Amino acid sequence: MNLRSPCLARIAALLLAMPAVAFALPPGFLDLRDTGPVHGNADAVRDRLEACSACHGRDGVSPVPIFPSIGGMPVEYLYWQLVEFQREADPESPMTALVMTLGDQDLRDYATWYAAQKPVAPAAVDAVADERIARIFREGDVAAGIPPCSGCHGADAGGHPLATSEPRYRLYPPLRGQHAAYLAQRLKDFRDGKNLVTSNDRIMHGVAEHISDEDAQALADWLQAMAR
Amino acid sequence: MRDRRLHRTLRLLPLATAVAAAMPVQADSGVGVDTWRANRLHPDAGVSISAPDERGTSWLAPGQRRAPTGNLYQCPLEPAPPRERGDWIGHGVLEVGAIATSGDDHDAQWNRYVDWDSGLILGLLDYTLERPDDGSYANVRASRISDDDEYYQAVFGRAGSFKVQAFLRDVPNVLSDDAKSIWNGVGGNELTLVAPLVPAGSTRAEVAAAHAAAPTRTLSVTREKQGIGFSMYLTPRWTLYANATNEDRKGARAFGGTFFFNFPFPDNGGIFETLRPIDDSTVNLNGGLRFAGPVWRMDFGYVGSFYRDAYTRFTYETPYALYPVVPGAVSAPLTIGQFATEPDNDYHNLKATFTRKLPLNGELSLTASGGRMRQDDDLIAPIECQGVFGIGLEGSLALGPQNPFLFDCADWNTPDALSRRSADMQIDTTLFDGRIVLQPSGDLTVRGGVRWNREDYRDTYLAFNPRTGQYGYVSENGAQGSVVPGEIGFWDPFGNASNVTRVRSLALDLETTEATFAADWKLGTHDTLGATYTFNRFEPTHRERREVDAHSLKLTWVNRALDWLTFRANYTYLTQDGDRYNHDPYEHTFSMSLPGFIALPGGVLAHTVDALRKYDVSSRDQNKLDLMATLAPRADMTLSASLRGEWNDYDAVLGRRGYDTLGFTLQWEWQPSPRTSTSVYYGYDRSSLGIANINDLENGDDPTLGGATYPLEGRWWVDDEQRNHNAGATFRHAFGRVRFDAGWNSLYSRGITSYRFASPVALAYFSDGALGIDRFPPMSWRVNSFDIGITFPLHERASLRLFDYYERASIRDWHYDGFDRVRVIDHRVYADGGPESYDANMVGLLLRVTL
Amino acid sequence: MAQAREARTRRMAALAWLLAVFAPLAIAQQDRADLSRSLPSSDLSGDTVAATRRDLIAAPGFALARVGDNPAAPGATPVGERMCIGCHQLEAEHFTHTFHALGLHAANKADASIPVCETCHGAGSAHAREPTTKGLIIGYTKGSQTPIEVQARTCLTCHEGGPRDHWRGSVHQRNDLSCSDCHNPMAKFSAEGSLARGSINDTCAQCHRDVRMQFDRRSHMPLPEGQMSCVDCHNPHGSLTAPLLKTNTVNETCYQCHAEKRGPFLFEHAPVRTNCLNCHTPHGSNQHALLVAPIPFLCQQCHSHQRHPNDLQTPASLATGPHPDERLMGRACITCHANIHGSNAPSGPRFHE
Repeated sequence: MNLRSPCLARIAALLLAMPAVAFALPPGFLDLRDTGPVHGNADAVRDRLEACSACHGRDGVSPVPIFPSIGGMPVEYLYWQLVEFQREADPESPMTALVMTLGDQDLRDYATWYAAQKPVAPAAVDAVADERIARIFREGDVAAGIPPCSGCHGADAGGHPLATSEPRYRLYPPLRGQHAAYLAQRLKDFRDGKNLVTSNDRIMHGVAEHISDEDAQALADWLQAMAR
Repeated sequence: MRDRRLHRTLRLLPLATAVAAAMPVQADSGVGVDTWRANRLHPDAGVSISAPDERGTSWLAPGQRRAPTGNLYQCPLEPAPPRERGDWIGHGVLEVGAIATSGDDHDAQWNRYVDWDSGLILGLLDYTLERPDDGSYANVRASRISDDDEYYQAVFGRAGSFKVQAFLRDVPNVLSDDAKSIWNGVGGNELTLVAPLVPAGSTRAEVAAAHAAAPTRTLSVTREKQGIGFSMYLTPRWTLYANATNEDRKGARAFGGTFFFNFPFPDNGGIFETLRPIDDSTVNLNGGLRFAGPVWRMDFGYVGSFYRDAYTRFTYETPYALYPVVPGAVSAPLTIGQFATEPDNDYHNLKATFTRKLPLNGELSLTASGGRMRQDDDLIAPIECQGVFGIGLEGSLALGPQNPFLFDCADWNTPDALSRRSADMQIDTTLFDGRIVLQPSGDLTVRGGVRWNREDYRDTYLAFNPRTGQYGYVSENGAQGSVVPGEIGFWDPFGNASNVTRVRSLALDLETTEATFAADWKLGTHDTLGATYTFNRFEPTHRERREVDAHSLKLTWVNRALDWLTFRANYTYLTQDGDRYNHDPYEHTFSMSLPGFIALPGGVLAHTVDALRKYDVSSRDQNKLDLMATLAPRADMTLSASLRGEWNDYDAVLGRRGYDTLGFTLQWEWQPSPRTSTSVYYGYDRSSLGIANINDLENGDDPTLGGATYPLEGRWWVDDEQRNHNAGATFRHAFGRVRFDAGWNSLYSRGITSYRFASPVALAYFSDGALGIDRFPPMSWRVNSFDIGITFPLHERASLRLFDYYERASIRDWHYDGFDRVRVIDHRVYADGGPESYDANMVGLLLRVTL
Repeated sequence: MAQAREARTRRMAALAWLLAVFAPLAIAQQDRADLSRSLPSSDLSGDTVAATRRDLIAAPGFALARVGDNPAAPGATPVGERMCIGCHQLEAEHFTHTFHALGLHAANKADASIPVCETCHGAGSAHAREPTTKGLIIGYTKGSQTPIEVQARTCLTCHEGGPRDHWRGSVHQRNDLSCSDCHNPMAKFSAEGSLARGSINDTCAQCHRDVRMQFDRRSHMPLPEGQMSCVDCHNPHGSLTAPLLKTNTVNETCYQCHAEKRGPFLFEHAPVRTNCLNCHTPHGSNQHALLVAPIPFLCQQCHSHQRHPNDLQTPASLATGPHPDERLMGRACITCHANIHGSNAPSGPRFHE
């Protein structure tokens, strides 16, 4: 079978990949399709932020481009990301050792703390005038089959339009002003199927499936340049 | 027997035509039967015991979505892991195993449409090959429970291009498991009495002994059907389809047989529940051409059906002798009774429909259809006898004027005794239908339609014997005229000029004309209202009314104002009336219509009472109400409720007077996760049928209600009330990789037939008037069935399913009360003991392998 | 013995038949060498497909597929299947196993301008940008805010005609049903028919549970046993008759399986010729043989002739009573009048023969 045929490749990939990946849900799978609001006590962790602030800053502004700024992110998103790190238990991730010792309430408290921080742009960067990338963000890429990011992440990349009314939509995070290096790496990880633990990871795996390395970087740069 | 070759040829046809790959088409929702093949083991071809996809429907939202009415969709099934086979991708399942039945597993009701043969079974084979390159596909599906309960089907084609399908399916129909026969030759068309019974020479005790000694047998009819069909796109707009099927039925069933009454004449007459053979084949053909274009649509279709019976008649021997009611007279011995079996018949029907789109989003559709039903089977002789038949008045059986009621068999036991040798009966049907739809505005749609349907009888039969010059027929195998002088059934203008007997067949032409006007109106975004007026004129010939008119008005309301509720309401009012009711339009079929008929001084017996109204042509008012609500109380739950009532009020003093039904159902379904689903339903419905009739006091010619023949004291009324309670539940859950499913179905039906009468004159037996009872024993059917199954995964591609199916039923049909003890009652012989209660179980183990 | 031999022969015939059905496939396949010679060298995509050994266009029915028209999103443009799958992968995976997918993908392979998802769902650009705004894509589920008329019209773009010729004006259409109330082509829920439930009978029973329940009664046709379906008699898409029958009249529907009753007989029984439903109820009955009422009372609704037909019988005439009477016991009236549907015997005016 000639895999250069895009449709055929798609079907073949779907059908043949299925036994390996899709049928049985892997252990530790997190179904985030019907989650409720998350509540925690930020004060409980006010004095226990050393481990976090080294990479993410005490106020959620990350000094290191590969680590994301997490200040002002929805509490539900932060909480479930922490849970995901626990489930993944990826030996290569610096987060693994840090979250393995934490209990569920701790995760909620940490999430609440950082959600309460003000979202501040990490550093001033020049706005990137890239009409093609802006179009991919707003309308998607028909040829490559990339859906528009704005549909779920907001026209201003500030989060899902229904985030205020439905908790499960807060799991689609704001992207504006985020570190480009982090965003690009996440996009490539989604595309390559690395650590697909949650149902939302599965969505992003499909969304990012056909993005090229260059476009991933360009998109990340463009997003970082959007004022927070 | 003719044309048995036809069905044999057709059995070979699939082999030939499959290779030719250009033959008839598959049944679809528009034409033909055979739309589904499955069996009781997997009525849905294994879908309900397949694993649901744990991942659910979508990563984007939880649970399932709902259909627009509100019913939740189900969780999709776990996709079968495909295997590449060259260009093709194959996937499927093979399920084999064993079943074992226990308990009352010979019971007819338990085995009604199944043949659970304990042993190995092919539960299901379902294999599909697809070629994504060009959309070609092939599928085979089969299941075999036993020789008489199996199906195989195969289809191959190309998506959007063509499809060829073939199938073979056997299904049993078990009618009785406790039948006893005093005849040999069951299953064939000549029943002969078992030893030591002698035709026309056995006593009741001898017959009872032979009946008791007879083995219990099962009566069933098996249908074996083969079919092949195909449909294809000739061009993107034209499709061609055709189908051919052949169905053979084989078996035996309880039937009847009469040698005149026994109830008024002890030790006389004969009533026999014989066992008739079923051995026939039906070939059904259909085919057509369809066009679907942007403006025009056309549909041309042909349907043909050819019924062939192995036998033209079947005969049975009677064990009993008869004696005349006249003292000193003697009956000629009659030994053989006969029945004509269903005649071989042919049916052709052509139909053409033209539909054109109109402005205002409209559509006009015109249909014309013509058909013919014809049979020309050889006719059997009026009687099967040797020697003489009838009554020898002075004790001798010598033909001659001294014995006017004795007749020569040779004059009547041959087809030469008929006015024609073959039936030559035909009905031609014609149909015209036109309908128009227009949408003058976005909110308003109007419709109109007319329909005209006619059935023309093409011939009538005159019962005339050219050998004797007499009209009429031999009643009840000669028995009636062997017991009562003058009631043999003949008329001639000489010595029998006053005999009343049937001499002509009844031609039943009918014509129906219908006109409809309707409008639908969208009121806002949440409501749809509809109104339909229909006028229907039914014009039968030779029936009590020439013209029966019905007017009906139907109102419809669909409401979706609340987002969790869809509500539908339909109400119909119908009133039917007609021209003057003629209680006796049948005189032209009797000897009274023949020249030379002489009425006796007392007149001709009244055909029936004048106040009786046959309900298919009587006047009535009908109200029908239908309410349906579908609710979504939670995102993972559906609740449906429906109420349906129909009230029929017949304008009749005698006959059917009222028929009311009312019922409601409640269904609840919950799908909390892909691993779990459950549903419960309850339904109740009741019906009430009221009829009135009148007994005659003395034979006479006065048809009036309240007259000498039908006095008011003879009036009686019967009410039949049926109550049905239905309930059921299903539950499915996956415990890890182990899947559990359970189901329960319950029905309790109870019917009470109660009666009242003006006086004991109404009764068959005057003395019953003092019995002090006013109803029959309840006729009840109570059944509970339980299904339980566990599926264990053994391996990535194999699983084991252990299941149990238990059913317990109790049935009482008062017609068969006492038949468990005695079935030979004087000169009445019954074969079927009637339905029995049962308690049966089936356990099975199936290995399911993913191919 | 003869029966066993006959059964074996039939099984062999069935197997041979199945093989014969697949034989054309094998024959049409050619051997692999022929196949590779007749194909273009290595690229099965693009224009060269049209020049392969198949002369008909790849999938003529599906080749007519066009992007559906959504009045609620007039400016939307098609985005292609790949973008849809980007977000809807799980739906696409289930869809791949359906018949629509087989045909649409084959047609799309031959001609990339033929849409797949957007054939039914309309152009997707507006929905892709605002996925939470309902109505921008043609949706077939409750709450999709696509009017039922638009849903039905979209399906009928391809499926108009044939059995669906009389959809407009049919009772289901007038009660505001959508195609997706009974069908769900997005996954394989049923073996055949792209239904919303596992079988035709289960699909109809979603709303018509009361009718389905009647089939559990003492006498019924083999629908619960899976041997037939509601669609053997009814066309849910609309027909020329009020009860949605597939033939011109009630009787012609019944004769499809009960052809022996068609006749016409020498001596007819008038209510039989007019309408089988005068005596029978098709869905299920507590009486034997799907009768509306117990014999003799069924017959006594119309017969009041003198002598024996019009007497009122009581339980005393049963076999357990003091005067057992053949007019009440067992098959009652039809023990003698056995050929009750009509007789072809010259001596059969009263159906005794």
